[in-house]
Amino acid sequence: MPTRTRYDGVAIAIHWLTALAISAQLVMGWTMTSLQPGSYLQFSLYQWHKSVGITILALSILRLVWRLLHKPPPLPATMPVWEMQVAKAAHAFLYALLILLPLTGWAVVSASPLNIPTVLYGILPLPHLPVLSDLADKRAAESVLTLVHEIGGWILVILLAGHVGAALRHHFVIHDGILARMLPRFGAQG
Amino acid sequence: MNRAFAFLLLFGIQLSPSSAHAAQWLVDPAKSWLGFTGTMAKAPFDGRFQRWRAIIDFDPAHPEQGRARVTIDMASAVTGDTQKDVALPQGDWFDVKAFPEAVFEVQTFRAKATPSSYDAIATLTMRGVKMDLTTPLSIEVSGDTLRAKGYVSLLRSDFGVGQGQWTSAQWVALEVATAFEVTATRIP
Repeated sequence: MPTRTRYDGVAIAIHWLTALAISAQLVMGWTMTSLQPGSYLQFSLYQWHKSVGITILALSILRLVWRLLHKPPPLPATMPVWEMQVAKAAHAFLYALLILLPLTGWAVVSASPLNIPTVLYGILPLPHLPVLSDLADKRAAESVLTLVHEIGGWILVILLAGHVGAALRHHFVIHDGILARMLPRFGAQG
Repeated sequence: MNRAFAFLLLFGIQLSPSSAHAAQWLVDPAKSWLGFTGTMAKAPFDGRFQRWRAIIDFDPAHPEQGRARVTIDMASAVTGDTQKDVALPQGDWFDVKAFPEAVFEVQTFRAKATPSSYDAIATLTMRGVKMDLTTPLSIEVSGDTLRAKGYVSLLRSDFGVGQGQWTSAQWVALEVATAFEVTATRIP
């Protein structure tokens, strides 16, 4: 079996779905926390943010399993070793955040004194995380977890800026085809 | 004469409870409902109780002797929105583990100027809190069928429905409209 030069269709689909979902999460997260509490829009945004967040968690678990079973194409040999190391570390951090951000969000919801049930997309009920939902001082736990979730969000923004910047640099400056192997090629065999 | 009158009065008083029993009604659940309308994040939503039972004693000739007792299974509230349906039975809201039932008890029906219009002088006991709740309603009796329809607004905060951060009206309005429609048949 020859070494792949491109990501496979599943990996590409999950990557771009996640990209879309994260963009939506950042916009919703920013908007909902800036609005005055009590509006229908704000309430709805929180519910959507929870649904999309858990979707990202599920997609990312699926993606990690897929990645373990399907070796991604190797980085081009023209890349300096230190760049490869930075790229690998950045990807590891991105994966970690894809899992940890939804989990901390879920933790915030579970510890919230408002005790609002999560119903994904208005259909699928998601229980609160154990322990957190039974804490004596939920308010304190919630504010700490909210801070962790928020900081995680900002770290993700910084990493994404690096991720997108690196992809564009590879494509437009180095011309090593790294971006193209993650782009869908409809009707073509990778 | 005075003695005779006193005797009659005594006799009459003794008679009246049994005459009230002459008009008892059996609720037809298929033709009756008990519902409420709340407001969450400024958006109204409807709900209803799927299980409740009522003892109704009403004679249009003597509405003041009428009585009614409605027992509501608080765990049977449904709104059609899963999120609300999961939240409602919990401790912040109806707390159905501690307070499985609410009781609406009518002590008397006060006839109003319009025909078939009454005020039910009643109490509502919910979440362990008993409050007066005079409820305007219409009651029509034709043959062996009784039809009643009523609407009353209450404050959820009076009963402790909505605890903690929900005590305020920030997310959920304190006013809750309740309404019912009952069709019952005469118990022979």
